[in-house]
Amino acid sequence: MAIRKPVPVENLQVVQNASSAAPQLAHESVGYESAGNATTFPVTTPKKMLASGMPEAEAIERAQQGDGECFESLYGMHKRRVYSLCLRMTGNTAEAEDLTQEAFLQLYRKIATFRGESAFSTWLHRLAVNVVLMHLRKKGLPEVSLQETLEPTEEDGPKKDIGAHDQVLAGSIDRVNLERAVESLPPGYRIIFVLHDIEGYEHNEIAEMMGCSIGNSKSQLHKARMKLRDLLKITRAERAGARR
Amino acid sequence: MKTGQNVIMADQPNVSAAATAAVEPPGRNKQMNCADFQHDLPLIIDSGGTQEQDEHLQTCAVCRDLVSDLRYIAEQAKLLVPMHEPSPKVWDGIEEKLKLEGLMKPAQARRTL
Repeated sequence: MAIRKPVPVENLQVVQNASSAAPQLAHESVGYESAGNATTFPVTTPKKMLASGMPEAEAIERAQQGDGECFESLYGMHKRRVYSLCLRMTGNTAEAEDLTQEAFLQLYRKIATFRGESAFSTWLHRLAVNVVLMHLRKKGLPEVSLQETLEPTEEDGPKKDIGAHDQVLAGSIDRVNLERAVESLPPGYRIIFVLHDIEGYEHNEIAEMMGCSIGNSKSQLHKARMKLRDLLKITRAERAGARR
Repeated sequence: MKTGQNVIMADQPNVSAAATAAVEPPGRNKQMNCADFQHDLPLIIDSGGTQEQDEHLQTCAVCRDLVSDLRYIAEQAKLLVPMHEPSPKVWDGIEEKLKLEGLMKPAQARRTL
């Protein structure tokens, strides 16, 4: 199954449930905000402010009228999140930089179509996801990976853990180890894990973007977590071995 | 004869269950084994388990640890903030292309990032 052609950003309607509904721009937190249902930091300020002190809403409005400086400020505010997404999805620095560039170029061309129906960061994030998926689709490799992972063989399925009692992972994962483990996931698993567990997209959103069923998205996410568990246990064992 | 074989299999429904039980750890629940529980694990993690699954979880340390690990991984993933920084050449490329397309005026170019 191939990745479905990404939805044109001007037609995007970000699906969110009640618990994940993006707050209105004027009430957004300045902290990290997920695209879907996942983590949102407590709202700490009434408005998102750029480094220049200008409210984000005003910068968006000016950028929509062609103000390059305001666009540059918006880039400064959102570049880490977009780049991190691209890097985690591709696992390649050069590709991630190219895709970040492409996402912001598309943003500049399409920012006039932003109507504020969702949070700007959510809208931009979805645009970036589409840019990455389009790139991966053109590249072809993940289609193979997705085909494999969406139609798993017996060997490919989640390993049963019957009879294997081991120490739990809680307390033994640090951010660096988790990042590395995610990087080493097969592309098909990695993309769905990044979109769901890191970026907070819902399965129905992922299914729509990837052109697969919701069941497949759930299944692949589960396999990704199982694979990560194995990888993290190996890492922990290696660290313990190195200390001896 | 195929039909006969089918009848024999149908008459011996406990063969596979007995084989599974032989490799299962002690302390498992009689109503549900680990294989059954783990088969439904994506659903259990996503939306919680049935009473039968909860009972199995209470009596099976292996499945309990597995659920704990998978939930822990999902929780930790949510804490991975976007900490990667693109190199300055990314903005340079954006600026250059926008100028080439005539979308951004050269005078607007500044380096304040």
